[in-house]
Amino acid sequence: MSVVEKEKNNLDKEEKIVTALSKKLNKKVNIQRKKRLWVSIEPKEIVDACSIAYDMGFEHLSTISVTDWIEKNNFEIAYHLWSYKEKMLLTIKTRINRENPTISSVTSLWSKNAELCERECHEFYGVIFEGNVNLTPLMLEDWTGPPPFRKDFDWRKYVQQEYYDESNPREDIYFEVKK
Amino acid sequence: MVKKKTVMKYFVKAIWVFNWFNSCGFTELVPVVGSRWDMERFGMITVNSPRKADVLFIAGFQTPKSMKRAQKIYEQMPDPKFVLALGSCPITGGMYWDSYNTVKKLEDYLPVTMYIPGCPPRPEAVFDAVFKIVQHVHGMPDE
Ligand code: SF4
Repeated sequence: MSVVEKEKNNLDKEEKIVTALSKKLNKKVNIQRKKRLWVSIEPKEIVDACSIAYDMGFEHLSTISVTDWIEKNNFEIAYHLWSYKEKMLLTIKTRINRENPTISSVTSLWSKNAELCERECHEFYGVIFEGNVNLTPLMLEDWTGPPPFRKDFDWRKYVQQEYYDESNPREDIYFEVKK
Repeated sequence: MVKKKTVMKYFVKAIWVFNWFNSCGFTELVPVVGSRWDMERFGMITVNSPRKADVLFIAGFQTPKSMKRAQKIYEQMPDPKFVLALGSCPITGGMYWDSYNTVKKLEDYLPVTMYIPGCPPRPEAVFDAVFKIVQHVHGMPDE
């Protein structure tokens, strides 16, 4: 098979998957670029969408990421799924309200792997994954401040209060930088 | 009565170290261990348990979480014990001086014997610090 033919075959395969996924999810699946697909869904459909994708070969949960869109007042949660068979990455995106950041957990599908990803998202953004029984902090033991990766977390102020003391001459430099 | 100096001399004859490294802290001591500077020439070896160690090397930026573990390690070490902090991170936070989750001053958490500056410190500086401990013991009054 020539290179051109191979490429065409690949494209056909991609098209096939996109059509099948679009039909099953009842959503438009977009092709970002070669082998990179994404779809945007409602938060309540997340477990169903993931299990549909799982059945279609997207078996590996690479990671879960959260983006804080503070001006839109929501968190965008992205589930990155990899298919070993098709060698393709599918990103399932969903947006949840910032005031009440709750979403169903996907631990029923990926158990330990999902648990760890969700723990991290919970730790840094305060997203609550309903159904995940272990949301204890990974890195921030004894943390009392707000979730640190939120855009409205004033880390400079936090550091100043937690670690620096204006009366200590050694730490003057910090307060000079601030001024 | 056994003299303090005599006892201490035995302890510092061969300095056994236990490492507590975060992040790039590990690479700070690697040249000292490796064949070029080879700390074993001077009887310094890294041990696998804090209960055998004389010196605790702390390097890399420390977090409140890792500090708790470091304190546990320190408590397990037998007396006399020393804590050597390597690099600018344990001294002032280094380039993480403005981070929300790193310890800025190690002495707030552990009694530090000596700070070795540098990012990372040169192996010569590490040896210098160790020899200062040895010299200190040799310079102790005979009583
Ligand atoms: S002092 Fe420098 S080399 Fe050492 S841990 Fe900090 S940043 Fe890394």
